[in-house]
Amino acid sequence: MTAARNGAQQESKKRSIHPRQIPPVYITVALLFVVGLVFYLGNPNFITPYNLNTIISFSAILLMVALGQMCTILVGGIDLSVGGLVSFISVAFIVLIKPIGYLAYPACIIAGVLAGYINGFILTRVKIPSFIATLGTGGILTSLAYLVSPRPVNLAPDLYGVVDIVNGSLLKASNVLLIGLVVLAFFLVILRFTATGRNIFYIGSNIRMSWMSGINIVKTRTIAFMLSGLGAALVGITISSVRFGGDPVVGTSYVLNSIAAVVVGGTALTGGTGGVINTVFGSLFMSMMDNGMTVVGLDQYLQQAILGVMVIIGVTLTFDREKTPIVK
Amino acid sequence: MSDANNRRGGPVLALRQITKEFPGVVALDKVNLTIGRNELIGLVGENGAGKSVLMKIMIGLIPPDGGTISLHGQPVTLRSPGDAIRNGIGMVFQEGSLVPNLSVMENLFLCHEAGFRRLGILSLRSMRAAARELLAQLKLGIDVDLPVAEISPAERQMVEIARLLWLTKLYGHDNPVLILDEPTTVLADKERETLFTILREIKSRASIVLISHRLQEILENCDRIVVLKDGKNVTEMASSDARLQKIEQLMVGHSFSTDRFHEDEQRRRGEKEILRVENLGKAGQFQPLSFSVGEGEIVGLVGLVGSGKEEVCKCLAGLEKADSGSIFLDGKRLPAGSPRGSVRAGIGHIPIDRRSEGLALMMNVAENVNLLVLNRLKAGGFLSPGREKKNARHWVEECQIKTPSISTLCANLSGGNQQKTVISKWLSSRVRLLILDHPTRGVDVGAKDEIYKLMRKLAREGIGMLVMCDTLEEDIGLANRMLIMKDGRLVQEIGSAPKTKPDPKDIISLIV
Amino acid sequence: MATMNGRSASLGRRLPAPVAMVGTWSRRTGILAQVLTLAIIVAGFALGTRGKYLSWANIQTILSLAAIPAILAIGLHLTVVLGGIDLSVQGVASLVAIFVGLLMKNQYNSHDVGLWIIPIALGIGGAAGLVNGVLNTRLRIPSFIATLGMSWVLYGMAVYINRAVNIQILDERIFKAINGMVLGIPNIAILALIVAIIMQFIQDRTQFGRYLYAIGGDEAVAQQGGVKVEKIKILVFTIAGIVYGLGAALLACRLGVATSRMGNSLLFPTITAVAVGGVALTGGLGGAKNAALGALIVTALNDGMVLMHVNPYAQQAVNGVVLIIAVALTLDRKKLGFIK
Repeated sequence: MTAARNGAQQESKKRSIHPRQIPPVYITVALLFVVGLVFYLGNPNFITPYNLNTIISFSAILLMVALGQMCTILVGGIDLSVGGLVSFISVAFIVLIKPIGYLAYPACIIAGVLAGYINGFILTRVKIPSFIATLGTGGILTSLAYLVSPRPVNLAPDLYGVVDIVNGSLLKASNVLLIGLVVLAFFLVILRFTATGRNIFYIGSNIRMSWMSGINIVKTRTIAFMLSGLGAALVGITISSVRFGGDPVVGTSYVLNSIAAVVVGGTALTGGTGGVINTVFGSLFMSMMDNGMTVVGLDQYLQQAILGVMVIIGVTLTFDREKTPIVK
Repeated sequence: MSDANNRRGGPVLALRQITKEFPGVVALDKVNLTIGRNELIGLVGENGAGKSVLMKIMIGLIPPDGGTISLHGQPVTLRSPGDAIRNGIGMVFQEGSLVPNLSVMENLFLCHEAGFRRLGILSLRSMRAAARELLAQLKLGIDVDLPVAEISPAERQMVEIARLLWLTKLYGHDNPVLILDEPTTVLADKERETLFTILREIKSRASIVLISHRLQEILENCDRIVVLKDGKNVTEMASSDARLQKIEQLMVGHSFSTDRFHEDEQRRRGEKEILRVENLGKAGQFQPLSFSVGEGEIVGLVGLVGSGKEEVCKCLAGLEKADSGSIFLDGKRLPAGSPRGSVRAGIGHIPIDRRSEGLALMMNVAENVNLLVLNRLKAGGFLSPGREKKNARHWVEECQIKTPSISTLCANLSGGNQQKTVISKWLSSRVRLLILDHPTRGVDVGAKDEIYKLMRKLAREGIGMLVMCDTLEEDIGLANRMLIMKDGRLVQEIGSAPKTKPDPKDIISLIV
Repeated sequence: MATMNGRSASLGRRLPAPVAMVGTWSRRTGILAQVLTLAIIVAGFALGTRGKYLSWANIQTILSLAAIPAILAIGLHLTVVLGGIDLSVQGVASLVAIFVGLLMKNQYNSHDVGLWIIPIALGIGGAAGLVNGVLNTRLRIPSFIATLGMSWVLYGMAVYINRAVNIQILDERIFKAINGMVLGIPNIAILALIVAIIMQFIQDRTQFGRYLYAIGGDEAVAQQGGVKVEKIKILVFTIAGIVYGLGAALLACRLGVATSRMGNSLLFPTITAVAVGGVALTGGLGGAKNAALGALIVTALNDGMVLMHVNPYAQQAVNGVVLIIAVALTLDRKKLGFIK
């Protein structure tokens, strides 16, 4: 019998309905329509096939990094290095095409996964909180990007064929969209149909219970960060292919956008709730916001401020305060 | 009670007819407690008797549902520990409430440094001097600049007592009431003696309420003993009138319905030995001990808080590492300190706090039940929703989990059904040994019964169980055998076969 | 007798023994480890640059370059001691810089507030910090997200007002004052030293200081002991913001130019300075002197790398590695349980 300082927490016999019964996804979808309507009213050009295509293409790209970010958030961390990784891969990819051609694809993918592995390692073995660790590695990656190429580097025209994979269009849809769908399917399969993916959710929901039940916390978290690295690498490759060139600054906006996509989509920072579908809608929403604000004529610089506000609101709504009585 | 009233000036603190209810359980039922001047009172009772609830009411952490608290004859309402201190009542908690990185003197005067302030700046010199003086009154001569984390638990307790004395004096109380919750659990023998010497001295300017499970030391040191049982007063006596056996008898003695624990279903221990523990020891928690659990056997680990039983279970579950000895499951040695290792070997652990340690509340029943066996529910290398559903439904039925569907979030189940979900999670993984940590805590009567029946069923299937119960009756009723632990040692093994169940009173004398 | 604030709590760790010992020792001795590190760095670069590193001109450079990071670090470390973090320094700096540019004598408008800019800058910074504090305490948003979000919001506001144009500050007096020297020591370094001394004094000798460390040490216990945790937290974030305001104003005035991009690369070195100085991320340990020393060490390191012609982009990588190592050594793992 210990007299706990924080008061007795006697078990209630009654059924306790958890306060967050409405899946946040519904809120996101509703927001999608409402805000979409607002933009349309602001400028009818918002709903044109061309513009919608732009929105969806960008959301496909954002989705790839957002899904990885979601994994790290689900296991209770965060990946602030995605920006640096996207930048680094974007220049590395272009630079590598000349010497090794198509092998640049797997090389960059492996590099991304490796970067994620290192992030996971620093978190799980060196035991540094992920937001500091990824802040550090993000900085390292950004400087590596500059080391590879301080200025934007263009792909030599005779090598354009290599990036046709991304720029072509099978099935009448832009390949970018298809790639996004493939990545989505990949993450869906991993998260819903593999034990490791399920473990990511278990850890997110209750890490102590997961540990006590024998789930390999180190392995699962490391894999989550590797998935984030994978997503960021794919984004770097895709962007460079689309623009026929790499740029060491291209990744900076992805940190904010990916976190916003995940959080606004309804995945809680406390882990447990949320999932792939949430992030899909979150990415669509962020892409729509990005596009809509420009189409409607809103100041480009104000957009970032609005994004910041949305992240704060998103976290406020989804953060499970019962889980963390002391908020640091 | 007349004793306290007759002391000069009447009682310092009087709690009358205090009642407190929580959903489903009456924690305190018209309890009276009177504390007179310069008294050292011992408060005893089994786990769950209501001691901690009463104390929390006394220091303002929780409000009583009924009854009055009066200080020097005047009624008071205590809304917070701060209120209590201002009224001269303070408590030293078992876990301690000092800030580890602050120094001794900073902790002593935390939030009340105004007296040492000149023009907004603290005078460290005067703080130091005051601190040294305070501690000297308690015969403590430590360096007051040391961070609290670097002094011993005994010294920390002294610091806390000193702080209370100082604070209550600050608020003008010349006879404060100090409550000490199990202060001797963390102390070595010699430190215990010192503590009591100091307490006897402090008695001349304070009243002290001592909560302890060590009846012997209560008898030796306290003026009066108050016994609580099931949330009610049982008796009070001057320690000079008390005998150890009398107190022990008064602490237990609930009515005993023999069939509550389905003893008729209790089976004999099977041939095979499932768990063998050899010389398992952990410094500071429990001395090397050995025991075994056989097929279909329910072994009860019995002892008071501080006896070391919880730590033994933690070592078995891999949550903590033992310093010595080994654990064998089905003959194979278990890796130490690894929950994965224990789980893989076949040890399951139903934790005491199912909400924070047993379930993923925001996930549904199926996901929780299937957690340990995902690898078995695959088709073609990937998780099969069909197999998952089948497994979940099977166990919902086996364990009679009442849920609208297997997709219901666990947060929406009642306590009893949540507990059954935790149990099925482990059963699904074909455990060999199940450790049950207070399995029926916070569970309603109907679900309790179902859990007992479930345990009997598991025993029939050959699963070994190690259980720690809320009440002695539960331990006796459920177990084939009981391992009695006291002060970190395994003192005795007692058989508890059906029809020859021991009397709780006999056990009590062993655990206190 | 050593002071109270650099003191450690030896609460056990799970790193290999020699590494753990270094960590514990560096915490226990307050700033001894940092002074030693500085000495090693100085010695190393002195050798590497064949004495150029130790030239008076270079030392002045180091001191003047370290001053503003030191001030910013002093602000940030307060939130870290509390047990949280403040990632909004970039945003605050950008916004303050813009106001500094537009309100002081410049080429775009007729404002010329001169020295009045100081209270204005402090006010803006303080307001931002106040919002951070409220987000963290009333809305219960974890500090790292609240301040991260605020940083983006503030940066957006700064750029919106300024549209990424460089504003030249034409106030001669102030420019000279900030970039001047007294007895060969840059004014700005003296100012940083004064700020450090004042802050350290507050931490050592006021009730506020006690509460700061109490919350960082064990928030639940502090709350129960009577500390008004919410109020202190809000106050701490506000003070941090005020200090950022000071730093940003100084930075803009020193460079003579104000742009919204000014804050962009401030977060990283500031956090590194705080960590290297020995302020544990877990809270409850470290003071202004640690933060200031940390900034000095980081500046000395970068200056040396420049003198030795190390690739500028590699320098950032080195800083990243230093950050991770510094945090790893000072973290109190027993406190963290499962690392997030």
